[in-house]
Amino acid sequence: MMPEFNREIGIPRVAAVEHPFGRVVGEVNENDGQTAVLKAALEVLENAERPGEVAHLPFTWHEEPKATDWHPPEISPVIKLYLDEIKQAGAEARR
Amino acid sequence: MTDENNVVNGFLFLPPALGAWIKSTIPEDEFKGEIPWAPLIKPLAETTFALMTSAGINMHDDPPFDMERERREPIWGDPSYRRIPVIATPADIDVNHLHVNTSYIKKDINVALPINRFQELSADNTIGALAPTAYSYYGYQMDPTVLINETMPQVVADMKAEGVDAVLITPT
Repeated sequence: MMPEFNREIGIPRVAAVEHPFGRVVGEVNENDGQTAVLKAALEVLENAERPGEVAHLPFTWHEEPKATDWHPPEISPVIKLYLDEIKQAGAEARR
Repeated sequence: MTDENNVVNGFLFLPPALGAWIKSTIPEDEFKGEIPWAPLIKPLAETTFALMTSAGINMHDDPPFDMERERREPIWGDPSYRRIPVIATPADIDVNHLHVNTSYIKKDINVALPINRFQELSADNTIGALAPTAYSYYGYQMDPTVLINETMPQVVADMKAEGVDAVLITPT
């Protein structure tokens, strides 16, 4: 998930976790790992003191980012629509 | 695995060009507007929770989120919501989302909507209760007007009717 969006919309409390899109709670059937993430999120709810607080949870994913296979099987319509702009943004970022 | 010093990088899993494009749309400064704040008024062990995800989950009895219109109108995302009973099983649900691989959620709904894990947290008194209904909306809203003004007031009314004190929203 992307805690950076907090800068755009202002979210009351964020428990940020560095897990791939579509599996924010944890890996399939890894119940203990899912519970650990959820308990950490509940602690954020208990301890947050001001609106807009972002807590960075300590969990790291067990696969390299490129190996996570989180992408949809077809390119999403908005990506197709803006593909030229996306490529351009990538080219500018590489400069 | 854990890293106590981890600072979450929301762009980590994105292809670099897509990440650069999204980054160009997000302000660099902190949010300046007013952020809603509802304090937690009870201990967790007395708090009733509802779960909500943007994963595009529907019960088989309900219409799926509208993928066909989004294919025709790429900047439109379905602004409706679905109620998911927390006793739902994998056989009861479907998932439609044009922005993520939905296969993981179909195998284990808890990766996006942790209904079984929260039932366990209720059973061991970590939380007070899990409300009978969970919710799914669709996590692609370039224009969130309908979602904010029409959909979410209905969700809030549903939650209040079930005595919900706090909500965990799990984005996709």
